[in-house]
Amino acid sequence: MDFLNLLARLADLDSTTAAPQLAAPRRAALGRLGQAGTALLPGLLLSALSQPATAGTLDTRTRLDVLVLVRQLAALGNELHSRALGLVAGYPALPLTATEKAGIQVIQQQEAQRVTLFSQLITDGGATLPTTPRYDFTGSKNSAQTALYPDIQTNPATYLLVAQVVKDVAVRVYKSQVDFVRADAYLTETLLRSHSAEARHASHLRTLRRQRGVAVKSWVSPDDAPVPATSPAIAKVYEGESGFIQTYNASDASGQGGALVSVPFDSTLPINVATPPLSAEAILRKVAEAFDEPADAIVATNVAALFTY
Amino acid sequence: MADLADTSFSGRALRRRTFLRVASATAASSALVLAGCGNDDDDPTPVPNGSTGTLVLAGNDTGILNLTYLLAQIQASLYQKVVTTPPADFTAADTAAFVDMRDHEVIYREFYKSVLGTSAYDNGLTTALEFNFTTYTLTTRKGAYEAARTLEDLAVGAYNGLGRRLANSSYLRLLLKITSVKARHAAFVRDQAEPNSFAGPDVISSTGNQAGLDTIKTPVEVAKLLAPLVPVVLVADNLMTL
Repeated sequence: MDFLNLLARLADLDSTTAAPQLAAPRRAALGRLGQAGTALLPGLLLSALSQPATAGTLDTRTRLDVLVLVRQLAALGNELHSRALGLVAGYPALPLTATEKAGIQVIQQQEAQRVTLFSQLITDGGATLPTTPRYDFTGSKNSAQTALYPDIQTNPATYLLVAQVVKDVAVRVYKSQVDFVRADAYLTETLLRSHSAEARHASHLRTLRRQRGVAVKSWVSPDDAPVPATSPAIAKVYEGESGFIQTYNASDASGQGGALVSVPFDSTLPINVATPPLSAEAILRKVAEAFDEPADAIVATNVAALFTY
Repeated sequence: MADLADTSFSGRALRRRTFLRVASATAASSALVLAGCGNDDDDPTPVPNGSTGTLVLAGNDTGILNLTYLLAQIQASLYQKVVTTPPADFTAADTAAFVDMRDHEVIYREFYKSVLGTSAYDNGLTTALEFNFTTYTLTTRKGAYEAARTLEDLAVGAYNGLGRRLANSSYLRLLLKITSVKARHAAFVRDQAEPNSFAGPDVISSTGNQAGLDTIKTPVEVAKLLAPLVPVVLVADNLMTL
């Protein structure tokens, strides 16, 4: 780290930023994420950087939990796409077009890059990487049960459907995880940048499916052909995505207390600008499209669990 | 920990003022106090002044939301222009996509306006700002998608840079809900302008310790990129202290 950057970081130190008291041993271990490792000094500075600590959320998930989760999702994606591309021994490449392959290669490589990044953040913090899971993308748990997607290693349509679901759920879950790392500016930015990269991938996979004749937009839409609910975990992936209610809280600066304000999309906002105007129902479907909803970590880990054994 | 040296929090440059804040503990704390005062959402937001034509964004959530409001206004206006006068080589699918994106941007615009209320930068203006799209070629399919690409990528970078600067976590949650839809727009229009460019190396770092991460822009970088489009001088310096 060069000296000027160090000074810039120091300038960002906020006098209120005494690191939150870390009570639980698990959280103490997580504190090392910022404090141990080769880049000791920047780590210390970053862990002290802060938005005001949000005690309510810090209590439930640690930065380590978050990093392990996003690494798990990136590793799963990397394996899924690597097998589709024929990069894994025993899994012949799917009959994708050359153009499709080129795009999926981009996704696979960026997944691998993020596995590397998240792994490094975990190990530099003094934590141990989880063991690599065994994957079975048919969902049969290595033939222990009926397969959910029996032709995923031979049928591009099945593979692209699963790929879309895995990406869309990752996009939703990243949103909820940002709450847990807000005290760490570096990690917040890293998650945000990873989150939008995931959304780009999801959009591309949806475009590929549309080009193959599936009724699906590049953004999540109530108009999309429904994804078959092959298991309860899959059914949860798009649950709650079709609503038009959006709320915020402006009663204090942190946005954490007081009454919620509901955005009046269904009444006073002049959002129906089409000629001729859309029906009231149709414009609210556009509102649903315009906001991707967050989902709890378990929604994604349950999907991941379908494909690991 | 990954080497953070070149992360530099959104590429923030070390500015003279920053150095002064560091140089003296006293100076640093008072500068921070002032920055902290800016966190009052009730602060009146400076509006474009008729005589100087300058829009100074406040160093607080109101300033941030005014910037995202302006971005949504610009994008809604661009999409509306294309929808009103589609390029001759637009297909039905192109039009449908631009109508969707127009509707989304109008929804964002009205959403931000509603949240900002009287703090919206243009609350006192009798006529809305008119944006200048003459640098784009909106008469061809390729040109329309390239214009959309420029603005969607800019918006994704802007949102990624603004997220950590927000004090109000309920605003951040809403921003994140919008960010991914904008990233989906961006990937779509990029693919249309050039196949398989949805996550190209000009937006997703391909090397170094930020490999695999999407674009990020500081508010000042965003203001500079928007400058040719807006008829006022946009000053985002106050957001840099957040």
